[in-house]
Amino acid sequence: MRSLARAALYAGLTVAAVTFIYPFLWMASTTLKPPFEVGSLDLIPDRITLDNYRVMWGRAPFGRALANSVLVAGTITAAVLVLGSMTAYAMARLTFPGRRALNAATMAVLLVPGQLTLIPLYTLIVQLGWIDTYAALIVPYLFNTTAILMLRQFFLQIPQSLIDSARLDGMGELRILFTIFWPLARPPLAIVAIFTFMGSWNEVLWPLLVVREQQTMTLPQLLTVFMLGGGAGTLGVSLAASMVLVVPVVVAYMFLQRYFIESMAGAGVKG
Amino acid sequence: MPPVSFEHVSKRFGEVGVVEDFDLHVEDGELLVLVGGSGSGKSTILRMVAGLESVTTGSIRIEDRDITPLPPRERDVAMVFQDYALYPHLTVRDNLSLGLRLRKVPRTEIDRRVRWAGGMLGLDALLDRKPKQLSGGQRQRVAMGRAMVREPKVFLFDEPLSNLDAGLRAQMRIEIARLQRRLGTTTLYVTHDQVEAMTLADRLVILDSGRVQQIGAPLEVYRRPANRFVAGFIGTPPMNFVEGRVAAVAGGVEFAGEAVRIPLGPAIAAAEGPATLGVRPEDVALVAAATAGSIPAQVALVELLGAHAHLHLDAGPQRLVVVVPGAAAPAAGTTVHVRLDPARAHVFEPNGRALVRPAV
Repeated sequence: MRSLARAALYAGLTVAAVTFIYPFLWMASTTLKPPFEVGSLDLIPDRITLDNYRVMWGRAPFGRALANSVLVAGTITAAVLVLGSMTAYAMARLTFPGRRALNAATMAVLLVPGQLTLIPLYTLIVQLGWIDTYAALIVPYLFNTTAILMLRQFFLQIPQSLIDSARLDGMGELRILFTIFWPLARPPLAIVAIFTFMGSWNEVLWPLLVVREQQTMTLPQLLTVFMLGGGAGTLGVSLAASMVLVVPVVVAYMFLQRYFIESMAGAGVKG
Repeated sequence: MPPVSFEHVSKRFGEVGVVEDFDLHVEDGELLVLVGGSGSGKSTILRMVAGLESVTTGSIRIEDRDITPLPPRERDVAMVFQDYALYPHLTVRDNLSLGLRLRKVPRTEIDRRVRWAGGMLGLDALLDRKPKQLSGGQRQRVAMGRAMVREPKVFLFDEPLSNLDAGLRAQMRIEIARLQRRLGTTTLYVTHDQVEAMTLADRLVILDSGRVQQIGAPLEVYRRPANRFVAGFIGTPPMNFVEGRVAAVAGGVEFAGEAVRIPLGPAIAAAEGPATLGVRPEDVALVAAATAGSIPAQVALVELLGAHAHLHLDAGPQRLVVVVPGAAAPAAGTTVHVRLDPARAHVFEPNGRALVRPAV
């Protein structure tokens, strides 16, 4: 009876897993199919071709856009981790005038929807003369409230004696943050990293507003412009472009996966 | 120059005074124990020496240097924390050596000191382990090792044994005492446990509500408590207190409470009025019924500890605790007669100050 229930469970889980993975695998395989095969639902192409990628690469500067995306998302992720944890450390562990007000203000920022700040932010970027620059893509995202609050919450749980002990050992605050807190905070840092990277990597609306030159466009932006403008021509080429967009995120996730699980399992700080 | 001296040190958090006018000179090589309940300010005093809390007024000197304005790393003190505060992601060896590396101590010297401390504390086999692979006692040893390798002028211990179970606590207490005597390093030790305080201290500082109640050697404090707080705080089971009056009688003065009346001799003829009598449980003796000055009492509860027993007695409304040899313990419910030893009785004024202290 038990083994029967188990078999049913596995069967159900297998169906669910296939349902989730099939569209992705189909997309991956379709990019390798010649145009007349694109309509088929088979996962294994009869004939493998890289034509879709070749066509895509030739029609728009996708290589450049990929590099732009890596630069933008990478810089933002690094900044959110470094600046975010510095802010979180100060908010969680240091006493200074205005600390409570700062905490409240940070919370309040969460309540403001991003769409609401879009226009003022755009006006600001125009006045700064940053249209069509990387600065326009990067600077507004250097600080991330959610990341700060998440790291602050974690930092609050680290025992005060660890900080005291580090101070007596001769560490300054920055060294305490980066050599004591960071190794302990790997799970939340990994989560912040992956969400920030994905968010930045997939962002389309903001780049569409502040960048018009193809040379500065990020990958999802170029892809959107490319497909909406009918530049792709065929489904195979569109999907090839989408693959280029998706793969880096999947790879990043695979690297950080174990911290995800660790964090979900509630990794303890206890000595 | 005494290694540590406090000059009129006070600490306030906003409106709340945590430490009031703390004045003390610690002797060279001394193990000084600060003891008191929670909120007594004992940990705050230690943290002010470490530089982890600022001093509101007054100053703290280590030898001839005023350290009040210095950051923790420049104070030449090392601290052991209640929860050990080991860096969880570093091995024992790295935990021991990190402070030295940050101070740019040469590699060979670091190795020498780590080997020395490791050998002294029996940590040799554990040097490559992480803290979570160690037992509580081992972690506590690593924490002490980390303080030792720094070779500081002063050790600060902040309730280092409170996280250990009773057996291990007694064992580590002995280890700390031996280690401190061997190293001869001046030590400030904070605890709320009066047994720990009595057994470890060269001198005790008893604190309550941020104020010093008494400073002295453990036995002196035990025998001649300066006030009612100290009398009640030091000693297990605690001292018996009886409310009553001191009055002149023929041949001197006597203390009279509801159930208790004992002569105090001529010493304090001047002080008459309400007072509190204090007698330690071991200074109350079981006597025969007809003995002069004896009080009848009912045995409410007997705590048998083996060699000794604690009798909880009801003498009318008055409760008394008496320590007797285990073999001589009467059964609960029986009536016994007790006599309080006048020569060892303490008398406290209504404000708590000791009026009579028995000769030591």
